[in-house]
Amino acid sequence: MLRLPRLLLSLATLLAAAPALLSAQARQGRVVGRVIDASTGLGLSDVGVQVVGTTKGTATGVDGRFAVGGIDAGTVTLHLRRIGFTPKTVTGLMLEPGQALEQNIALEAATFRLTAQVVTAAAERGTVTEALDRQRTSNGVVSAVTAEQIQKSPDGNAAQAVQRVSGVTVQDGKYVYVRGLGERYTTSSLNGARVPSPEPEKRVVPLDLFPAGLLQSITTTKTFTPDQPGDFSGAQVDIKTREFPAQRAYSAQLGSGYASDATGRAVQLASGVGGERLAMAGSKRALPPLLREVGNFQGLNLSQGDKNLLVSQFRNAWSPQAATGAPNVSGSFAIGGDDPVLFGHRLGYLFSGTLSQGVDVKNDQVRALADRGTVKGSTNEIDRFEGQTTAQSVLWGGLANLSTMAGRHTRLLMNAIYNRSADHSTRIERGAFENEGIEARIQRMQYVERAVRSVQLGAEHAVGEAHLFDWTVTDARVRRDEPDRSEFVQQIERDAPSGTESLRWLSTGNGGAVRTFSTLDEANREARLNYQFSFGPFGAQHRVKTGALVRHTDRHADTRAFSINAPGAPDDVRALRPEQIFDGRFTTPGARVFDIAPLAQGGSYGARDRLAAAYLMAEWAASSRLRVVGGARAEWDRLDVDAVSTLGSPIATAKRWNDLLPSLAVTLTLPREQQLRVSASRTLARPEYRELSPIKSRDVLNGDDVQGNDQLERTRVVNLDARWEWYPHAAEVLSVAVFHKSFDRPIERVYRAAGSGTRTVFYTNARRAENLGVELEARKSLGFVADRLRSLQAFANLTVMQSRIELAPNTQASATNLRRRMVGQAPYVLNTGMTWVSRAGTASATVLYNVVGDRIDAAGDAPLPDVIERSRRVLDLSVRLPIRGALSARLDAKNLLDAPYRTTQGTVTRESYCIGRVVQAGLSWRP
Amino acid sequence: MIRLHRLAIAAVAAALAACGSDSSTAPTVTPVLGASASALSSSAVKLTFNAKSGDTGYNIERAEGAAGSFIQVGTVAAPSGGGAVSYTDANLKVSTPYRYRIISVRGSSTSSPSAELSVTTLAFGSAAAEIASDITSNRTLFADTTYTLKGFIHVANGATLTIQPGTTIRGDFNTLGSALFVLRGAKIMAVGTAEAPIVFTSSRPVGQRQAGDWGGLIIVGNAPINRSGSVEIEGSGTDGQAIVGGKNYQVLYSGGTTPTDNSGELRYVRVEFAGFAPSLNNELNSFTFAAVGSGTKVSFVNSVSGLDDSFEFFGGGFDLSYAIAYEGEDDQFDMSEGWSGRMQYLISYKSTNVPIRTGAGSYATDMQGIENDGCNGSGCDLGFDTAPFTQPVVANFTLVGAGVQSVHGAGGGFGMMLRRGTAGYYVNGVIARFPAAGISLRDAATYARAGSTPTPNLATADLAVKNVYIADAPLAFQATSATQNAFDLAGNAITFSAATTAASLFAALPAASASPAGPSAFDFTPVAGSPIATGGLSTFTGKLAAKAGTAVTGTAFLGAAAPTGPKWWLGWTNYARN
Repeated sequence: MLRLPRLLLSLATLLAAAPALLSAQARQGRVVGRVIDASTGLGLSDVGVQVVGTTKGTATGVDGRFAVGGIDAGTVTLHLRRIGFTPKTVTGLMLEPGQALEQNIALEAATFRLTAQVVTAAAERGTVTEALDRQRTSNGVVSAVTAEQIQKSPDGNAAQAVQRVSGVTVQDGKYVYVRGLGERYTTSSLNGARVPSPEPEKRVVPLDLFPAGLLQSITTTKTFTPDQPGDFSGAQVDIKTREFPAQRAYSAQLGSGYASDATGRAVQLASGVGGERLAMAGSKRALPPLLREVGNFQGLNLSQGDKNLLVSQFRNAWSPQAATGAPNVSGSFAIGGDDPVLFGHRLGYLFSGTLSQGVDVKNDQVRALADRGTVKGSTNEIDRFEGQTTAQSVLWGGLANLSTMAGRHTRLLMNAIYNRSADHSTRIERGAFENEGIEARIQRMQYVERAVRSVQLGAEHAVGEAHLFDWTVTDARVRRDEPDRSEFVQQIERDAPSGTESLRWLSTGNGGAVRTFSTLDEANREARLNYQFSFGPFGAQHRVKTGALVRHTDRHADTRAFSINAPGAPDDVRALRPEQIFDGRFTTPGARVFDIAPLAQGGSYGARDRLAAAYLMAEWAASSRLRVVGGARAEWDRLDVDAVSTLGSPIATAKRWNDLLPSLAVTLTLPREQQLRVSASRTLARPEYRELSPIKSRDVLNGDDVQGNDQLERTRVVNLDARWEWYPHAAEVLSVAVFHKSFDRPIERVYRAAGSGTRTVFYTNARRAENLGVELEARKSLGFVADRLRSLQAFANLTVMQSRIELAPNTQASATNLRRRMVGQAPYVLNTGMTWVSRAGTASATVLYNVVGDRIDAAGDAPLPDVIERSRRVLDLSVRLPIRGALSARLDAKNLLDAPYRTTQGTVTRESYCIGRVVQAGLSWRP
Repeated sequence: MIRLHRLAIAAVAAALAACGSDSSTAPTVTPVLGASASALSSSAVKLTFNAKSGDTGYNIERAEGAAGSFIQVGTVAAPSGGGAVSYTDANLKVSTPYRYRIISVRGSSTSSPSAELSVTTLAFGSAAAEIASDITSNRTLFADTTYTLKGFIHVANGATLTIQPGTTIRGDFNTLGSALFVLRGAKIMAVGTAEAPIVFTSSRPVGQRQAGDWGGLIIVGNAPINRSGSVEIEGSGTDGQAIVGGKNYQVLYSGGTTPTDNSGELRYVRVEFAGFAPSLNNELNSFTFAAVGSGTKVSFVNSVSGLDDSFEFFGGGFDLSYAIAYEGEDDQFDMSEGWSGRMQYLISYKSTNVPIRTGAGSYATDMQGIENDGCNGSGCDLGFDTAPFTQPVVANFTLVGAGVQSVHGAGGGFGMMLRRGTAGYYVNGVIARFPAAGISLRDAATYARAGSTPTPNLATADLAVKNVYIADAPLAFQATSATQNAFDLAGNAITFSAATTAASLFAALPAASASPAGPSAFDFTPVAGSPIATGGLSTFTGKLAAKAGTAVTGTAFLGAAAPTGPKWWLGWTNYARN
């Protein structure tokens, strides 16, 4: 924020000078050159280059090159600044008319106290170095992945990008685990404000909702400071959307991909109503009004005619259609700039849009259940099904960022983002049900639509050099719609005497033909205010920071499911295709075939969460080498969850939690660019809303029941962190971190004691848990090996950790092990890779390797062993090539090893599938 | 008026004395005046009157009907200071007129009888009462009252619920899932008679009742089961309350330690139209016996048109006789988790899918006559080999199916489904009209109980099926595969006759397509010349004899009814589909 007044000053100067420039276009020239890191000689990208006294300026390219044209001939002064480097003003350049003057400039790396984050972006940010800078200038332990890194990787969305961060695991391609802790210990924010979760049973936000093209950076903060929300203990993941560039810029990208298992192959695509390809099909697939009317059917006495009428309300769509897999396509555009559009008032802007569509196939898909074997702890496989899932997915979104100065000391910001995605999948599988002793073929079509909308207004206001206020108001809303999922089950019968296989509808029971409709709607309104006061001598400034936050969250979730069966239907009816069975022939007046029953009662709940927080923290520069940051945050949470039980009675859960969360961090700067950080803090983790709702709901077809627990208490966590860092060069780092967390009453997902035919997932407060780990991170140019390897940079991060959770004996839980690792905790996470950048900086290649150790996916239901998600290795490759002018090409190969996803329980493979390799090619245009 | 009255008495007394031959006799004892009688219930009458000073007591005499002769039924001492006297006469017949008279006693003298008092005992169920909260202390339900269960009613540990013969208890249709839980440590004494059975039924009128109208009768004892850890009654705990206080709190039945535990007695008890599912697929049963111990007595029980199982037994074990299941919408008899009861004279009849209460649940996909599991679910530490095994003695069973696979569901239609390591002895039975097969020995673990041999030896085997007649079914045993095995027919005295119709075996059996008017349509006695009239295992040997003891005895006939024996289902059972 020290920069802000200067920036304002220069902007004002530019504004004043602008009219004079209009008449002086004839006698002009260009300045070209390269900006390098003084310590390494490598090109520095995104260095802001400004011609002092004019509106002219640019930012350096990926290799540090820049060119500024249209400069009046004469004496030219260039001002260069870049985060992490000491700004430099180059004066006395003599420019002749029509000349292109070449000037190379070296920038010195700044000392760490240069507060890079507070500088409000005039230049487009985002380099490796900046990421490291953010790490080194932060008070806590922070890891970041920036737009430049994302650009070099094949990552298409935030979830794929964030798994490059040390200690991060991504589950199901979307849910983030940090340091091996469950997703409940990670919170997500968008430009600093909490993102509501569109998942009915999770707090975590699926990060695949955010297209990579809209991202500026993803920052993972692993230690707590009082100005952050208190309910994270693993990490806070902040997604920053792109800011506007210093001068008008356009870019466009187009790409197409080949998936080895899908493109050009025969696939089964779900039949929809038409809007699915743009994620706009929700309303057309909505629950038929008549079924909404009858609710859970209780107290009604339906006649056969009523049943026929109800059955006829559903879309007659049960079977997928054979098709040929289309190639994946994606495209994006962005336009940004900083122009005097408001009556000469400058407005920074960025508008960006992105769209991607694809077909994914999960092949060799196997799922099964484990039954208890005759040796204690051993397992037998039952209910094994084999099949294939085909998903058509679409993700599109856009953002609009605006920023302007109001007066000389106030910057106003507006940020709006809207993303929408849909997965339209079909799963066909064959197997056997142990309990019923039958073979069956199941076809399921599922359509999930998610949308996130967030509008943020904010301002920064500086008063002199010492005072800085900022506030933001955010209104965010997320919606998850899963309209009209269908399941149709056929029994595989072998007719005597020939043993010919016949498929006949499983017309009894409640799983034979099911339609499910669920929605989740969550709104989040948040207001924040921060004030910071800096004082003391330059180079050893002290700061005091205080602020407050109010957040209102309201969620409503609703699930309705209906089973259609036909008790006593003869074989000739059951042998019909589903589209024949439901074409109306059996819903005519007088037909007596169908019965209909409601399922999934109890899937509806609402939550109302009111959070207020305030904090006070101080940053004391004890000496030029020692900084101490301490403070505390108070949070007051009022949480009410209302649910309606299956028996129709409302169940209300009210929680009132007041917490004081102290924290202390010490940063010691050592000689030769080394730093040592030590911190201690208390944080908490609150139960997710669904977990507090004590109603029981069930997935159909041998699914698990899920039941919340209104007795749950929040978890309190004591965090200890120590980290040593060494920045030998601007783009290099070596760091070692040790962390320890102790959890008081952590919430753990376990199986509940239940009757013989059911499995119920349940949540309980364990007695305590501990988590201890070591993190290593290194990033190094290979120039030290041989000079010609100077353009190769290797990087690796490794987290090794162990945890132990101790469950309290509980009559409600059925747990095999009272002491074990925490659910979701992996013993190690390794990300490594290598990047090559051509000397000219225009071509690059990156290879990325990621491996996560075996982790507990679900705790064992006594006496079964725990369910383990097996380690999986991933290798990705990306190449960026210049073609001509502003046009460049990208080539990405994902999942080159095609290792199977595999979850096991004892000797049983609970789930396994392969997703195939994907090769994508694309073009980028950046004039 | 009173004075005049006294004067008149005095005058009469003086006149008698004047003309009497012996004036020294004790003063004449006079009968009581102004007595009254009222019916307390269907079986009790209360008399009240004022004592006269000088009387030492009163003899109570009763006569039945208008013409019956008086007999003395009791005496009551006169209170020392005079005043009101009351006497309750119990154990009377329902809806019956009685006459009473009272004779005053003064030392050795007695009065002439008082004026006769006429009173009629109340009819069954003529009064109405609701049971809307848990029963935490001893309570009696009276036959003259119709009780309505509203919600999940629990008889708490230590309390005994006594139900008079003829009492009707209705599960409230409008209060979802109304059910009666008799918890561990509590007792139910529901002893009816053939003339006055105790009936648990739907609160809806006859003709509108449907399976699943209400929950059912659940009895939880303290006998062992073979699952470790916590195990809850399916269908309980739906509102998430772990402890007493919720509406439908979690009821656990695991961890019992007393095989001889006593949960009371059921005799002549019907449960009708039960089986509501408090949550999806978590249906209650008509009769649920969870960890119920051998001190409990159960006989003459009848389930009618219930939504889940008719009779389900989770672990424990007691002697049960004379049970009859009509039109249950899942298994008629379901035994698991170490059930070791001894059962004789069992009938099940399944012909159709009766209507289900909308929203209560759905038809099972695997309806069997008997479905026995060894161990299944959490806490089966050794899987199907978890001890104690499910090992009942099941003797003299008559299982009749619908003959149509679609009624029994895709995985159903077996007379007996023995699976997941179940053991037990199944003798002297009749299995008829099942569309899948007579018997399934589904898993290798089950076959292993028999010694993995087609002819198990009663001296050593934990599982045997002997002397069974299988008719009207495509197969005797489910088709053999790697895990499904068959017993040798001849070696086990199993007769299989696919061509013999079920109807030809019994004195009266409706066709599966028929809609029987009531229990009178059934006569499970072997018809003259029926193959099931003979061929029974008369003498038990080996482990079967040891396990059966004196509770279950061999018979010369097959099935639940002796050719000449009592038609034990007559009078107290019901057959109804709505």
